[in-house]
Amino acid sequence: MVQISLSRRALLHSSALVMASAALPRYGFAQAVAKGGRLIVAADSEPRNLNPAIVASNGVFFISSKVIEPLAEASFEGKDGLEPRLATNWEGSSDGLSVTFRLREGVVWHDGTPFTSADVAFSALEVWKKQQNLGRLVFANLQAVDTPDDHTAVFRFSRPTPFQLIRNSLPVVTSVVARHVFEGMDDIAASPANNQLIGTGPFKLAEHKPGEYYRLERNDAYWGEDKPYLDEIVYRVLPDRAAAAGALEAGEIQLAAFSQVPLADLERISKVEGLKVYSKGYEALTYQLAVEINHRRKELADLKVRQAIAHAIDKDFVVKTIFLGYAQSSTGIIPQNAPEFYTSDVPAYPFDPARANALLDEAGYTKGADGKRFSLKLLPAPYFGETRQFGDYLRQALAVIGIDARIVNNDSAAHQKAVYTDHDFDLAVAPTVFRGDPAISTTILVRSGTPAGVPFSNQGGYANTQLDALIDKANETVNVAARTELFRQFQRMVAEDLPLINVAEWGFITVASAKVSNVSNNPRWAVSNWADTALES
Amino acid sequence: MTLLIRFLRSPEGVAGLVLLGLLISVALLASVFFPRDPLSIAGPALLPPFQDRAFPLGTDRLGRDVLAGLMHGARASLAVGIAATLVAMVVGALVGTIAGFAGGIVDEALMRIVDAFQIVPGFLLALAFVSVVGASLLVVILAIALGAWTGPARLARAEVLSIRERDYVAAARVIGMHPLEIAIREVLPNALPPVLALGSVIVAGAVLTEAALSFLGLGDPNLVTWGSMIAEGRNVLRTAPFLSIIPGIGLVLTVLGIYLFSEGLGEALARRRIRA
Repeated sequence: MVQISLSRRALLHSSALVMASAALPRYGFAQAVAKGGRLIVAADSEPRNLNPAIVASNGVFFISSKVIEPLAEASFEGKDGLEPRLATNWEGSSDGLSVTFRLREGVVWHDGTPFTSADVAFSALEVWKKQQNLGRLVFANLQAVDTPDDHTAVFRFSRPTPFQLIRNSLPVVTSVVARHVFEGMDDIAASPANNQLIGTGPFKLAEHKPGEYYRLERNDAYWGEDKPYLDEIVYRVLPDRAAAAGALEAGEIQLAAFSQVPLADLERISKVEGLKVYSKGYEALTYQLAVEINHRRKELADLKVRQAIAHAIDKDFVVKTIFLGYAQSSTGIIPQNAPEFYTSDVPAYPFDPARANALLDEAGYTKGADGKRFSLKLLPAPYFGETRQFGDYLRQALAVIGIDARIVNNDSAAHQKAVYTDHDFDLAVAPTVFRGDPAISTTILVRSGTPAGVPFSNQGGYANTQLDALIDKANETVNVAARTELFRQFQRMVAEDLPLINVAEWGFITVASAKVSNVSNNPRWAVSNWADTALES
Repeated sequence: MTLLIRFLRSPEGVAGLVLLGLLISVALLASVFFPRDPLSIAGPALLPPFQDRAFPLGTDRLGRDVLAGLMHGARASLAVGIAATLVAMVVGALVGTIAGFAGGIVDEALMRIVDAFQIVPGFLLALAFVSVVGASLLVVILAIALGAWTGPARLARAEVLSIRERDYVAAARVIGMHPLEIAIREVLPNALPPVLALGSVIVAGAVLTEAALSFLGLGDPNLVTWGSMIAEGRNVLRTAPFLSIIPGIGLVLTVLGIYLFSEGLGEALARRRIRA
């Protein structure tokens, strides 16, 4: 406000400029924040189903989070790390059987229909609970959603469901879709509406040319005051990672997120004038580098062998050489940037090949004449260059302690089938994701009883009744302090028994033109709505 | 003997022979100089070439010795190239001889099978085969041979068709030799020389196909090959181009050497034919 009154002269001056050059729209606001413009972003994939309410994954969110909004978004400053979106207030009952959401008023869908609590009720019961990969777990006990008025939704659970879990999962699992679009469909997951998104977000999905680009247009009726600042966002499909760096340098694109620019290029890129490197903005979607273990192998069912493998891995080398310092070594199954749950009070496995060799000898697997104890099949996940490189490293690290690991490379589909359906592996390298609460996508990595075929779940045949009981108890514990303590115990138990071995945890890197402002200003920035992102012309 | 002298008279042949000799000795000496697994992590990562005596050609992103990779890679490339060619030639020559000698319906049937293989580009065939069966050294060799055996088969058949009308074949028939014996003992040895000349071209193609397969991540991941070295280096092409260039030079020299060698061989054989 002050700025505007002070800059009357500037305003006059700029309006003169506007008259002089009609090609510069909204120049008058340039001093506060640049408005308008087209932001061109690199995209590395085109998801088959673009509906974030059904497929809660980062590849989908990257594009669709600008169109369809959740009830709340992650935030650096907000209370409990949250910031309101479609809900303005949320409160859980002390018995864990209900959660009440106050919804934002005056919000309309992109087709002009008003947004009401009926949309939330429909999304929760018909989409999140029944269709969504993560919502199925979080809302497993959701029984009904009461809508006493248009702007209140009360979630009712059949069994106590911790409010802490609901709160932590709001940004990821609560993308609200329009009831009037999907109601009455037999098969929501197969609906063409999943790729012609109607949302409440700051941008509308205008166009998708397969293999070329997605184009998002400003939603003029957006509820956020003055927002969004951009006129358009264009996602250019660049599946080749090396191409993104070149396109940034040439000014063809202005932003590449999710480490599309290879880590090895960052040092060079950071010196290019007009480009900025951001390592913030991924705190709420921490990836973890884990060694999955097939406990059906008799050698690997022996705790001493698993401990030996943990001692054989030099985590510092992994962080420094494979991730070039853009990562942190792990102590356990919950990452350090989840301070609510993290504890460092767990058994550690420092790099110590001598100790590893001794452990293997103790376990009765002595070296043969050729220096080998036994052979293993190692399947590195193909999704990231780093997971493949770690596979190469792990093979060498295991060779030092006399384990002959043979690498088997597969494409994504074959890898998922081999590891998560056919269990045709001994060790696998997986990039697992921590999503704000251990119950969302972390406990499933070690709990027994998941049917074959579910990716990123315990498919190594590990079964520990004590650990299962602990997870089940945490899932019903409403008291925040008690639940948090259970998850501390959970970390200790996992670190002691090593159902899998956590090696490192990493966030991604965003590289953007210096003209783009408000980049990486929340912990899920790349997959948030970008309403406040601006581009100087 | 005279063939060797004639071969040595052609400059291409000599150049090819020298290059190939060098490569083969590099491949043979690889385990003498680098007895450890060439994929083992030996030093600091991304060391540029000509800086450290211990790593004359530098190290890659994980700190693996590039020189060790290059030498062991020469072995893998040549081994795959030669093995695949042997398989292709043996199968091709046999099929071609049988087709040409038997004639009639057998010839028709075998040649249609050859056609079927020739329609599909060899590389595509190899790609499909490896992705279905899974990558290992033996599979890669078979995959490359799968696309390469048709050339020798056609050539051998053409040669056999002309040889089987010669007088000495008729004479063999007259003295009552078994047709199979005639085919293998009388016809095949005389049909072989041009097929052998084709062989060196096939080796060059096989080396390139193997490199392309490993570049696409379909080689045996537990072996170091030039193709996989180039693919690894591609990720850091802008910061450490030497990682792709060095194995690339190895590949160029190998293929060049083989081509020159086959050129010389072809010339020497042609001269012999003229004289004969």
